[in-house]
Amino acid sequence: MNNGYAIQTENLGRIYKIRNNRKEAARQLVALQDVNLEVHTGELFGLLGPNGAGKTTLIKILTTLLSPSSGWAKVAGIDVDRRPEEVRKRINMVSGGETSGYGLLTVRENLWMFAQFYGIESKEANQRIKTLMEIVGMADRLNTKSSDLSTGLRQKMNIVRGFLTDPKVLFLDEPTLGLDVGASRDVRSFIKRWMDEDHGRTMLLTTHYMVEAEELCDRVAIINQGRVLACDSPAHLKQTLQHEAIFQVRVYAPQLIVEEPFCQIRGVQDFHQKTEVDAVRLEIILEEEAVLADVINELARQQARILSLQKREPTLEDIFVQLVGQRMEEVEHANVTAS
Amino acid sequence: MRRSVNFRSFFTASWLGWQIESNWTDPFLFATYSIVKPLAGAGILVLMYSIITQGQFDSPIFAYLYLGNAFYQYVPAVLSGVSWTIIEDREHYRTLKYIYVAPVNIPFYLFGRGVAKFITGSFGVILTLAAGVLFLNVPLDWSIVNWPLFFLTMGLGILMLALMGLLLAGVTLMVARHSYFIGDVVASGFFLFTGAIFPLEVLPNFLRPIGYILPITYWLELIRRALVGTVAEAFPTFTMLSNAQLLIILLVSSLVFGLAAIFVFRRCDHQARERGLIDQITNY
Amino acid sequence: MQMLPPLERKNTGWRLFLMTVLGRSYPRVVGMQRERSWMFFDIFMPLLAVSAYVFVYRAIGAPEEYVGFVVMGGAMTAFWMNVLWSMSSQLYWEKEQGNLALYIISPASMVAILLGMAVGGLFATLLRAIAIITLGSLLFNVTYVIASFWQLIAVFSLSMIALYGLGMMSASIFLLLSREAWHIANLAMEPVYLASGMYFPVKNLGFWAAAAASIIPLTLGLDAMRQLVFETGPTLGFLSVKTAMAILALLSVVYLFTARRLLAYIEKLAVREGRLTENRR
Repeated sequence: MNNGYAIQTENLGRIYKIRNNRKEAARQLVALQDVNLEVHTGELFGLLGPNGAGKTTLIKILTTLLSPSSGWAKVAGIDVDRRPEEVRKRINMVSGGETSGYGLLTVRENLWMFAQFYGIESKEANQRIKTLMEIVGMADRLNTKSSDLSTGLRQKMNIVRGFLTDPKVLFLDEPTLGLDVGASRDVRSFIKRWMDEDHGRTMLLTTHYMVEAEELCDRVAIINQGRVLACDSPAHLKQTLQHEAIFQVRVYAPQLIVEEPFCQIRGVQDFHQKTEVDAVRLEIILEEEAVLADVINELARQQARILSLQKREPTLEDIFVQLVGQRMEEVEHANVTAS
Repeated sequence: MRRSVNFRSFFTASWLGWQIESNWTDPFLFATYSIVKPLAGAGILVLMYSIITQGQFDSPIFAYLYLGNAFYQYVPAVLSGVSWTIIEDREHYRTLKYIYVAPVNIPFYLFGRGVAKFITGSFGVILTLAAGVLFLNVPLDWSIVNWPLFFLTMGLGILMLALMGLLLAGVTLMVARHSYFIGDVVASGFFLFTGAIFPLEVLPNFLRPIGYILPITYWLELIRRALVGTVAEAFPTFTMLSNAQLLIILLVSSLVFGLAAIFVFRRCDHQARERGLIDQITNY
Repeated sequence: MQMLPPLERKNTGWRLFLMTVLGRSYPRVVGMQRERSWMFFDIFMPLLAVSAYVFVYRAIGAPEEYVGFVVMGGAMTAFWMNVLWSMSSQLYWEKEQGNLALYIISPASMVAILLGMAVGGLFATLLRAIAIITLGSLLFNVTYVIASFWQLIAVFSLSMIALYGLGMMSASIFLLLSREAWHIANLAMEPVYLASGMYFPVKNLGFWAAAAASIIPLTLGLDAMRQLVFETGPTLGFLSVKTAMAILALLSVVYLFTARRLLAYIEKLAVREGRLTENRR
C-alpha cells in the first residue's frame, strides 16, 4: 500500500444534479467538498456526522460506486476512479438496513454465492461461513431462508458477508443499524478482535452512535455538509473541550423553560433541553464553571426547581456542537426542512 | 364511513397509479411506448392475415379478428394493472405492508391502481381502431354503432376484468415474482379461448366449453355487435343468441367470476398474512 | 489462535469468471425449484398463446406449414423472453434490492454475472421451448423434414450466441436506467415479434425491412431453421442458410465484443453519474 495509507483523498468533491420534475431546471447539490483524509493501514477510522452530511457519498466513492466530481481518492494505493477493478479485489462493504441477497435462498447459500464472486473456493467459503455464523450467534440459522429472517438477523448475515471475503479495506456504513443492544455489542467486539488479529486490515466505519465511534475508532472525522470539520482520535478531540464545563441538570419546571435568557448569559456556549416524563433535562456547555451560578439564578427566576446536577465528560456530540453550533438532530431536522 | 373508505381507497390509488404510470420517462418515450406496442401487436395479426389472404381486408373475418384484438388489449391492461400492484408495492416500493396497516379497502385500492393502466390501454385501443379504420378498411360506421349497447358492455366488461384482476392479485400474493407481468401472461393464455381473434367454432369441440365459461368471450362478441352489427353476427358461434341474451350471460358469468374472485382473494389474503408473505421479497 | 485465518487464495481470471457464472446461476436454478408457480405462468400459458396464433392461421385457411412456423416461432420466443426478462431487465430488480452495488464492488465481471443469470434461466427456457415444440407439434400434427441436422445445430447455436450477446448489450443500458428499463423491455416484445417474423416468414416484410430486422439474431436464426426443418421452408426463406449462418457468426462476434466494451463504458458512465445505487422513480 502506498506510503502506509489504506485510504487517501485529496480535495475530494462530489456534486449531484437534482431535478424535482422535468419542468424544473437542474440544481446542484454539493455532497462533498475538499475532503482530505489519510487513513493508515491497520486503522479503524470513523466517520461521524448527521444524515445528509456526505458519509455515504464518501463511502460510495471509495468503494468505486461513484466517481468524484473533483479531486482524487485512493484505496490500498490504487486510484478508485482509474483502476476500480483493482480496488475491488481488496475491499468489501456492509451497509445498514441492507436487503441484498435472495429471499428464496438460505443464509448459507446467499453467503456462498457472494463468496463465489470473490473467487473463494467452495470448501473454504463454507468453512468460513460456518465460523463467522458461530461468531455472530447464528449457527442455527444457516439453513433458514433469508426471507424468514428478522431485520436484525438479516443485518448480521450482511455483516458476515462483509467479513467473509477477508478484505484488506472494509467499509461499514452504519453496520449496527437494526441490531439490538446485545447484538451490537457482539458485533463491536468482533470488529475489535478482527482488527487486532491482523494489522494489515483497515476499516472505515460510519455511524450515528457516538458510543460506537468512541469505543471502536482509532481516529474519527467529523463531517457536516460535505466538509470534514475535524479529524483526530476521540481522546484528542475531547481534549479540546476539557477546559469547558459540561453540566447535566434535571429540573422540575411548572412552566416551559425559555431558552433565550440562558443563551444570552455570557459564557454559555450551548443550552439544550429535553422534556422527560416528570422533569426537564438540560445539557449545558459553559466556558468555565463560574458561569454556572448565573445559570442557576436564571433557573430560579423561571421558578424551576433543581432535582439533580452533575458535571460530565465531553462527548463527541459536544465536539460536534462546538464545531457546527447545533446538535446533530437539529442539523438533520434543518436538512429535512431545506430539502 | 364504510363507503367513504372505499371511495378514498379507490381515488387515492387511482391518483397514485397515474403518478407511477406517467412518471417513468419523458413524454416522448411514453408516447412512443403507448403507440408502438399496440400497433405492433395488431401488426402481427394484420401481416399474418395479409400474407395468407393476399390482403382481403373486406372480409368479415378480418373485421372480426381486428376488432377482437383491438379490444382484447384491455384484458392484459386491466389484469396486469390490478394484479401487478401486489408485486410493485411488495418488492419495488416496499409499501404493501403499510397499505395493509392503513384503513384502506385493499380490493378497492387494487382497482384504483389499475385505472392508470386502463387509461393507457384505452389509448392503445383507440389508436388501433383508428389505424384499422383509416388504413385497413375496418367497417366501422359511427352512424350505425349501437352506443347504448357499447357503453353498457364496456362498463360491465371493465368491471368483470377488474374482478378477474383481483383474483389474480390474490394468487400473486402467494407466489414469487417471476420474470414478466403475470396479468399479461394470463391474458395471453385466455387469447386462445375467448374468440378474440378467431371464432370459437375453429377450436376443437373439447376446448370450446372453456370459451363458453369465460365472460370475456361474451364481452368481445357484444363489443363487435355494438360496433359492426351484422358483420359480427356472420359467425355461427353465437348467432342463435340475441344481444339481450348475450348481455344476461355476460352479467351472470361476470357475477360468478366476481364472486369466485372475491372468495379467492380473501382466502389468499388470509393465507398470505398467516404465512407472513405480505412483505416478502422473492427476487431470484 | 485466530478466530478467522486470512484467506490463502482467491481465484482470478477465467476461474473467477466461471465461479461467478455458477454463483449467479445458482439462485435462479434453486429459486425455480422452490417456487414452482413459474411452470404455469412461463410454460403452460405461453403454450396457449402460441396455440391461439395457430388457430388464427387455421381460421383464415393458411397452408399447414404455417402452423409449423408458429410453433417454431413460439418456441423461440422463450429465448427472447429469457434474454429480456431474466437477464437484461433483471438488473433493474438487482439495483432495487442493493445487489447491483455488491456485484459492482466485487472483482466479478458484469459479463459473468449476466451470463450466470442467463444460464440459470436457461433451464426454464429450454423447458418452455421444448414443451411448445413437442406439444405444439403433437397437438397440431406438425411434420418436420430435417434437411441437415448439423446445420440446424450450428444455426441454433450461432443464434443463441448472438442473441445473448445482444442481450448483454441491452443489459448495459439497464445499468443507467431505472423503471424506464422495465418499460423499454416491455416495449421490445411485440415489435420484435413483428420484425423478426416470429409467426410468419420474414421475407413478407420486404427485402429492406427484413434486412433491417436481421440485426435481431432471432430473425435470421428462425428463418434459417425453418428452411432446414420444413419441406417448403426454402421457398419461404429470406436468405439462404449458409448466408444466414455467416451473418449470424458475424453478429455473434460483433455483439459479444461490443457487449464487453459497452458494459465497461456504461458502467463507468453509471458510476460517474451515480446511477448504480439511486432509485430515481
